Amino acid sequence: MTDLIPLTALGATDLRSERLGALTIAEDDSYGLASLTLRKGQNAPTPFGLILPAAGFAAQSGRTSAIWTGPDQWLVLGNGQGQTDFAAQVLAQTPNTSVTEQTDGFVCFEIRSDAGGPPIAALMSKLVNLPPETYATGRATRTGLDHMTVFLYRREEGHLSVLGLRSYAGSLWHALATAAERLAQAA
Amino acid sequence: MLIPHPLLGLRDSQEFTYLGDASLMNRPDPASPSAEAEFCDYVFLRDNPAGVHRELWFHEQGDRSWLVVTRNTLTHEILGAELARTLPVRGAE
Amino acid sequence: MTRLNGGLIDRTTPLSFSFNGKSYQGFKGDTLASALLANGVQLVGRSFKYHRPRGIFTSGSEEPNALVTLHNGARSEPNTRATVTELFDGLQATSQNHIGPLERDLLAINDRLAPLFAAGFYYKTFMWPRAFWEKLYEPLIRKAAGLGALSTLPDPATYDKGFLHCDLLVIGGGAAGLVAALTAGRAGASVILADEDFRFGGRLLAESDLLDDSWPSEWVDRTCAELASLPNVRLMPRTTVFGTYDHGIFGAVERVSDHLPPSDEAVRQTLWRITAKRSVLATGAIERHIPFQDNDRPGIMLAGAIRAYVNRWASAPTRNADDPVAIFTNGDDGHRTALDLLGKGVPVLGVIDTRPDAPVFGRYKVFAGATVTGTKGRLGLQAIQIRQNGQATWLEAGALGVAGGWNPNVHLASHHRGRPVWDEGRLAFLPPSDGPKGMFPAGAAAGNGATGVAFADGMRAAQQALTELGMTARNIPLPHVTDTPNAQAPYWHVPTTKRAWVDFQNDVTVKDIALAHKENMRPVEHLKRWTTLGMATDQGKTANISALAVMAELTGATIPETGTTIFRPPYTGVTLSVLGGGDTGRHFRPYRLTPTHAWAKAQGATFTEVGPWMRAQYFPRDGESHWRQTVDREVQSVRKDAGLCDVTTLGKIDVQGPDAAEFLNRIYANTMATLKVGMVRYGLMLREDGHLFDDGTCARLAEDHFVVTTTTANAGAVYRHLEFAHQCLWPDLDVQMISTTDAWAQIAVAGPKSRQLLQRIVDSFDLSNEAFPFMACAALSVCGGLRARLFRISFSGELAYEIAVPARYGHALIERLMTLGADLGVTPYGTEALAVLRIEKGHAAGAELNGQTTAQMLGLGKMVSAKKDSIGAVMSRREGLAQDGRHLVGLLPLEPQSQIPAGSHLFTRGVAQTMQTDQGWVTSSCYSPHVGSYIALGYLENGHDRLGEVITAANPLEGQSFVAKVVSAHLVDPEGGRLRD
Repeated sequence: MTDLIPLTALGATDLRSERLGALTIAEDDSYGLASLTLRKGQNAPTPFGLILPAAGFAAQSGRTSAIWTGPDQWLVLGNGQGQTDFAAQVLAQTPNTSVTEQTDGFVCFEIRSDAGGPPIAALMSKLVNLPPETYATGRATRTGLDHMTVFLYRREEGHLSVLGLRSYAGSLWHALATAAERLAQAA
Repeated sequence: MLIPHPLLGLRDSQEFTYLGDASLMNRPDPASPSAEAEFCDYVFLRDNPAGVHRELWFHEQGDRSWLVVTRNTLTHEILGAELARTLPVRGAE
Repeated sequence: MTRLNGGLIDRTTPLSFSFNGKSYQGFKGDTLASALLANGVQLVGRSFKYHRPRGIFTSGSEEPNALVTLHNGARSEPNTRATVTELFDGLQATSQNHIGPLERDLLAINDRLAPLFAAGFYYKTFMWPRAFWEKLYEPLIRKAAGLGALSTLPDPATYDKGFLHCDLLVIGGGAAGLVAALTAGRAGASVILADEDFRFGGRLLAESDLLDDSWPSEWVDRTCAELASLPNVRLMPRTTVFGTYDHGIFGAVERVSDHLPPSDEAVRQTLWRITAKRSVLATGAIERHIPFQDNDRPGIMLAGAIRAYVNRWASAPTRNADDPVAIFTNGDDGHRTALDLLGKGVPVLGVIDTRPDAPVFGRYKVFAGATVTGTKGRLGLQAIQIRQNGQATWLEAGALGVAGGWNPNVHLASHHRGRPVWDEGRLAFLPPSDGPKGMFPAGAAAGNGATGVAFADGMRAAQQALTELGMTARNIPLPHVTDTPNAQAPYWHVPTTKRAWVDFQNDVTVKDIALAHKENMRPVEHLKRWTTLGMATDQGKTANISALAVMAELTGATIPETGTTIFRPPYTGVTLSVLGGGDTGRHFRPYRLTPTHAWAKAQGATFTEVGPWMRAQYFPRDGESHWRQTVDREVQSVRKDAGLCDVTTLGKIDVQGPDAAEFLNRIYANTMATLKVGMVRYGLMLREDGHLFDDGTCARLAEDHFVVTTTTANAGAVYRHLEFAHQCLWPDLDVQMISTTDAWAQIAVAGPKSRQLLQRIVDSFDLSNEAFPFMACAALSVCGGLRARLFRISFSGELAYEIAVPARYGHALIERLMTLGADLGVTPYGTEALAVLRIEKGHAAGAELNGQTTAQMLGLGKMVSAKKDSIGAVMSRREGLAQDGRHLVGLLPLEPQSQIPAGSHLFTRGVAQTMQTDQGWVTSSCYSPHVGSYIALGYLENGHDRLGEVITAANPLEGQSFVAKVVSAHLVDPEGGRLRD
């Protein structure tokens, strides 16, 4: 085990979390991420027992989940695998596919609501140009947010994960927090 | 504009990057005796129709698919969109 | 005071406000206009051209006259329509476009000079002498033009943006809109109802007809309450839908807190992009007036506006409560105003009706077959001249309502070029049948303005729209209303030899239109340009159709033959700040930080923007007073010891698959398929036209696994290009690719001591030249088990490596390298030193790959393989490109301390500097501490054959000229021995 101490995507030693009205936005670095792409003629495997989801959807099984990112391509998320070589684990589960390590490619902000879906829908209406059904529970999609590219993954009615490029973490946090703050202020 | 993505449904055109005439998929045969002239046509000459136009759009803030969108340039009416990767390659291998 | 009884104002909440420094009182629910009228204030501004005294003309967003400046200082908001400004406590407004007090405007002299300012006067007057245009006319016109003035200070307000999606967007919350929204809302459709007003109801609030047995406002309140209770309906008051865009996309501005005292925190306005599957255009209608002589005095208003002020705001339009009000009309609608005035106890002089058979609906005098032919009252109406049966009579009047019919508000329906269609029965232009797809006009906007008809029309529109979406909307119970008579006769203007205003905001009169006709400016588009009709903030909402009618009369053509203008967004003015979306300053655009950003900041680094990235530019130390000192030190440290530079920003694309090698062979101009596993190769990508596109390294991690690096600037473009090549050109290749730029922190470790330094962090890995030679790569672990990738590549020309670790460890890694390398003199360096090092070495970067250059020019022509096809290969062999004799060379100024600016042009020494003698240009330039002189790179004609020649580099923009010696571009270690040691 290395003795190097990692930094969060926001450049601190501690994960950032802020409560703004009905919403809590929290940085989460516990996920191991790997992208999985099928090669020609391959059938979709079932890594960690996951049935890989169709376009626009996500799937979860135990501590592993996957979101569709493109034709024959998924982003696999391993909860608690942020410090491991998660890509190697995914590859072991899906031999001969193309697997790429992405754990630190993305920052993950978890948005939780204590008033169900409406505050999340209100927040997203300020940030992404998508009809709400595209980020309904169990769905995931990639879209633009303040000129950045993000994945939205609605885990539960009151829980949305936003994954953005790690280098944009500060700007993405600013966008999310500013919008949430304005909603809290207006409420 | 809204682009009817074959897999993801209607998506705002702001998610896409525009390239242009879908004839760019018809790359000439580099081994052809007249390859240079054919490549000149391919690279530099485009139809610019006032009307129905097949064109390439990249879903940059989406699933990274290249789409061939058929659009009426006069009305912006979109007549269809297909995944480029599923279309027959008409250029020479 | 002329405040009446009743109205939809909250008399328990009085509000103080000021106009031109004088304090007044109004109530919650007032607009600035209704409050001013209730205080007996008629004069509110001066006209644009003639500086004529002007008053409130309308009760809505079509207002041409009552434009004021709200607030002061940085928040001042010029050209705000008093008619749609919701009153709040402490509101400060001032009038515009006058010198001295509003009542005694010095520029009123323009009114005396009116003959000078006839139609087309700009074009006629300021033509010659030509030289006067820039120095005299333009500054003069600019000074005189415009109404209110901008503060020119930064806008301190906060703006926001957002996106909404719905099945049905209902634009306008009057009779038709409310019913449409309720019909669709009850059917379960997702509905947005937007109205520019702060209170829903539209004209229902302005009229007095009972709905069933209740006041219109009561029905409106009940309906709004039900709409608000439906979770699928979003009510958006204070929201102007200003533009119709393609495929059901609309632009809208919500005035979130304009009705509250200004604050730094609260969002002022929000720009909404609304995507609606269908829309109902229920924007109502705008009343038109009838031009007559001197019809622009304060106190002369639209008759429908008077009804709104009386019924909704309990404000009489006169200065004094006992001043009588007259009505001038060509139809029954004007009579409604008389009845409502009487109902509120306002004295009515009578109704002047152009129809000889004018009806009488109540106890007021009717002047049948009569017209208004003149007015008196300098700062407010005092008397009108009525002409009836050939007799002219002057009668005292404190206000005059003019009713010329209603124009459907078709603006949003013709944003896609659809032309409004004339309806002779309704004497109005109706929305075009080829309007925006999915838009259903309803109610007054569709020419169906009678209240009962509008209700039914709104329901019909919603049902039709939902049917197209596969939904069924049942009928809803509509309130019963007794429709009032609404007959009218075509009567467009009262002839006069004096001035009769058509467009108040631009001071365009019937005479101006006649002059345009005489000067053959007859098509509507020419009429508009020649007279300025329909320009400026109101875009002629109350003027255009009347002007067309006048032109039609002059030409003898019908109104539809004369034509009509179409519209473009925005419907009403939109603040530029809100279009900006609200992000200003540091957050104007998102930016990317490198994994070592926090560390570099702690070291006191100066940062520079590289595309969206913030990169450390240099790391000043105590005692260094100039950036050059710092950069020189950093460069020398790399050449002598070792340096560290974060190069994470370079694009990294993971390319995998059985056909990955073949694919990359077609992407790169040079051969990649032969690259051995564990090795890296420099590669050139061409555009299909044969020019250089990008360069970088390609590392082969496994038979079927490569990592492609791109330049920072082109990371996105190269990825897009690769996906294009795969998906559109060679979909049969079994290759997969994904961007992985952010996943890895990549740090360049450069300098003669870099191997020694790295040896201290790798976990039992042999870094010897034999085991890990130049251009080797490997996956390994460092610092006790951290997975890493190591590449032995060099941009600086020194022995160098790039090491990549998961991004979260980038910060700790650079700290560790600094600690472990302290005795080796390790130094962090920024982008400035990086650039100096590569210029010294003669390595190309963005300035050399500027889209106009070739591999041949770079001296790498041989890299473009002739044995295989690749993108750009065929075209790179074109005669013009292949024979290009310009080569990259180094330049040493004979005066070592003078810098040749990049962009300078190169000439043979002593030759006249012309386009024809141009020999190339300087691409990059810097001071080289290694050489002890300024140096430069540039493309020079036959450069490779001219080493040693002294040439001229000229910068004609600055009048500079330099003499420089042509040398090899590789000023450091031209044989490359250092790289390979």
